[in-house]
Amino acid sequence: MPPSRFPIPQGTLDMLVLQILSVGPAHGYAVAQRLEQISRAVVQVNQGSLYPALHRLEQKGWLRAEWKASETGRDAKIYSLTRAGRRQLAVEKDSWARLAGAVRLIFNEGSQP
Amino acid sequence: MKLLNWFRRDRLEHGLDRELQYHLDRRISDLMEEGLPESEARRRARLEIGGLEQVREEVRDVWLTRWLRDFLYDLRFSARSFLRSPSFTAATVLSLGIGIGATTAIYSLVDQVILHALPVRDPERLVLIDWKGEPVATGFGSWNLMSYPICRDLQRHDQVFDGVLCRASTTVTLSTDGAPEPTAAEIVSGTYFNVLGVGAVLGRVLGPNDDQPPAESAAVVLAYDFWRTRLAGDPTIVGRKVLVNQFPMTVVGVAAPTFRGIDVGEVPALWMPASMSAHALPGFTNLLDRRTRWMQVLGRLKQDVTPAQAQAALQPWFKAMLVEDMGLPGFPRITAQRRQLFLASRLELTAAPQGHSSLRRRLSQPLWVLFAATAVLLGLACLNVAGLFVARGSARDREIRTRLALGASRGRIGRQLLADSVLVALAGGLCGVALAPLAMGALIAFLPRDTAATALHSNVDVRLLAFAFLVAVAAGLLSGLAPALQAGRRSLASSLRERTGSGGGVRLRKVIVAAQIALSLVLVIGAVLFARTLTGLLAKGPGFDTTSLISFGIEPRRSGYAPLAASRLVFRIHDQVRAAPTTSASAVARYPLLTGGSWNNQMTIQTDRRIATDREANLNAVTPGFFSTLGTRIVAGRDFDERDTHAGAGQAGPRTAIVNEAFVSRYFAGRNPLGALICVGSGPDAQPNIEVVGVVATFSYRGLREESEQAFFPMLDGGEGVDVGGAFYVKVRGTPEEAAQSIRSIVHDADPALPITYFRTVNEQVSRSLNTERILATLSGGFGALALLLSLVGLSGVMSFVVSQRTREIGIRIALGARGSSAVWLVLRDAVAMIAAGTAVALPCVWAFGRLVESQLFGVTPTDPATIAATTLVLTAVALGAALVPAYGASTVNPVDALRAE
Repeated sequence: MPPSRFPIPQGTLDMLVLQILSVGPAHGYAVAQRLEQISRAVVQVNQGSLYPALHRLEQKGWLRAEWKASETGRDAKIYSLTRAGRRQLAVEKDSWARLAGAVRLIFNEGSQP
Repeated sequence: MKLLNWFRRDRLEHGLDRELQYHLDRRISDLMEEGLPESEARRRARLEIGGLEQVREEVRDVWLTRWLRDFLYDLRFSARSFLRSPSFTAATVLSLGIGIGATTAIYSLVDQVILHALPVRDPERLVLIDWKGEPVATGFGSWNLMSYPICRDLQRHDQVFDGVLCRASTTVTLSTDGAPEPTAAEIVSGTYFNVLGVGAVLGRVLGPNDDQPPAESAAVVLAYDFWRTRLAGDPTIVGRKVLVNQFPMTVVGVAAPTFRGIDVGEVPALWMPASMSAHALPGFTNLLDRRTRWMQVLGRLKQDVTPAQAQAALQPWFKAMLVEDMGLPGFPRITAQRRQLFLASRLELTAAPQGHSSLRRRLSQPLWVLFAATAVLLGLACLNVAGLFVARGSARDREIRTRLALGASRGRIGRQLLADSVLVALAGGLCGVALAPLAMGALIAFLPRDTAATALHSNVDVRLLAFAFLVAVAAGLLSGLAPALQAGRRSLASSLRERTGSGGGVRLRKVIVAAQIALSLVLVIGAVLFARTLTGLLAKGPGFDTTSLISFGIEPRRSGYAPLAASRLVFRIHDQVRAAPTTSASAVARYPLLTGGSWNNQMTIQTDRRIATDREANLNAVTPGFFSTLGTRIVAGRDFDERDTHAGAGQAGPRTAIVNEAFVSRYFAGRNPLGALICVGSGPDAQPNIEVVGVVATFSYRGLREESEQAFFPMLDGGEGVDVGGAFYVKVRGTPEEAAQSIRSIVHDADPALPITYFRTVNEQVSRSLNTERILATLSGGFGALALLLSLVGLSGVMSFVVSQRTREIGIRIALGARGSSAVWLVLRDAVAMIAAGTAVALPCVWAFGRLVESQLFGVTPTDPATIAATTLVLTAVALGAALVPAYGASTVNPVDALRAE
């Protein structure tokens, strides 16, 4: 395992899932694959924690799920973003950006004597 | 909302399985495309997802929080195990149901009569304004009486009040369309509706303008219920005329539906302004008299003013008013001592969010007593259920031991037992809520019908449901606590070592039974005290012969009669009733007996010296033959006759009087009362000019408990003073029904528009006056019997268990030559210990509870030694009897069977 990969920060998995689904509806496995692509590069995501996250987001009304034929023709549970989910994603992106900005500011402060 | 997931968990599980399966299959086929062999691909896929069961468990946590899920599983497990033992379940649920039902029923009445705030705007800002001290006034009505002018004075104090109202309950003869009928009414100030914040559903309510004597027609407001039930909700009612005491008044509106006056016990059908009081109370002309008190005064405090602040702020004005009042013309001449007391008077303000009610005053103490009794009963039911749980716990020992051995935590076992009790409590609560309306209906049926019908209801509302739920949960926790603690405490090793049952369980059950015996002894002693009070009062009776005696009333002044005509009518009806073939004797009194009320005043007595009575005597005016109709004895002197009833020329009032023996013994001290002069009133200007011509044996006037000083005057034919009407007492031949018919036709012939205000046998009146006593005796008796039953069941259950546990030991003893009787004693010893412990705990409680009920008793003290000794003895005997059955079983143990049993 390359040292550049670090565990995904607490609470960001939900945000990532929302982001992935904002591109278009997908089933669990597709989301997992997309996460895998991201994680190969940067972070490490346990596939097992994906399903609790999906169900949590569905419970909160941010995702809608439907059994539909997938690309292989077999029925799969397809998740899509609801309007509330879209709003939530915007909120999370915004607060993430502000946090990141604040952290950067603090680091810059520290590096300029 | 997550709770809903519990009910569709099968579908959720199935979906999750399919979803995970899809993931795995896709991953496996992808990995195989990458060139892995199938078995390796399968392994990798499973590894990546990190344990299927763990994922499932985490998703389940998302569906339903873990502790809730576990608890629901516990509940399901409990429900199943309850269904497997239906008799146990029925016993526990019924025990709790009876306890909760009784408590809820009594609480409903406590709430309606005592606690419930009026349905008006901000009821918590209402205060009752009362005169403490010597008002130097005459009055009529119930309690907390004030004069109308004082209410007008208080209305000017807008620095503390947002408004002040006054009101008085009365009964008027009301004609809407049909026959005139006696109807409850409230006489109110024009501020009444405004201060309470009650509006009209139709037309308008009364306002300050109605305080002025009206130019055209007087205004009345109808109560919503009366309008709906008696006038069929007629929408054109506003503007129509109704006859109040034969005087036409105009309906200006119908009050809001929820509002039923400020007295929970006397729901008025209409409200009329105090300016019309001369018509509401025929002959009443003292509305503006500062020394006539007859109304209750309530104020609405300004925001953030406390009653104490308002009371302090009013005192200076009040003191000045007292001095000013004394200087007014018409202020009675009084002694210096009384003047001092008058000047020391003060105003008292008490919070009155529930309004003012004489029913509350009468019932609140008995209701609290009954509430305490139901609480004890509920406690007993909880103990019973706890006992059953412990017993079942012993039976379930094997299951619990196995679960502990398999690694279940003690908390987990305790939680399971808690789920048991929560389930039983909720089932018991449901059962109780189902029983409560029946119990309430029965309770309300005890009250006089006129009160109960209008004022109290047996509906289960949200408040009551909340109460029942809280009680049920508390009961469940209480009854589940002991067994849960016991399960938590038991050590695994020791319980595995035991052969059968557990020693701790038995000890706990013995404590529970002892507590049950204590509680039921308290209840039974209470029941016996109340029963002795009731039977004592019934045996004592009113002091006169009530057989074949009926009573009815007419109020001609409320049907438009002038005083003289009213008096003539009463005497005419009296003569005809006396002459009717269905009656053997008849007499009229101005005020009825045994209704709780009377005409009271202090008296002045002139013999060789002049004295004033130190307290008020009960007064009445009666026709000749009143005492013989009641069957009471004239012990000295003579009864009234024709000479006394004719209004004299020289003297307006009565010239003669008869006093009772209690009056003689209190004020004549051995001297001859005949020939003494007396008069009503105790001031310096009172003139004793009425001659005592007879002494009558003492009988009950206001109620059965009282044997007060009484004085009777002759009812004057065609004289002044017949201002209230007549209470007829008639001795009938044959059945009361036959006489009733002829009497009704006599009254109808005399005036078809004159209603008979009440018609009942005097026995009925006696039993009505003992309502409270009867409620207390019957209910506490029922509670006592239930309590006894519950604890006897508990006791014999424990004894059977003890016997079954010690069968082996007893068998060995008998095999070694012990006699049957010694085996009985071996077992009975336990029962005796439990009963003794229970009694020892109960007796101090009886002493403490005694103070609570003292004022409700008659002829017996709350710590009456005979009652307590007899009850304890009987209870002990019955309890021993219950223990004897299983104990006898012990003596018949066959040693061979007993030894072979294990």
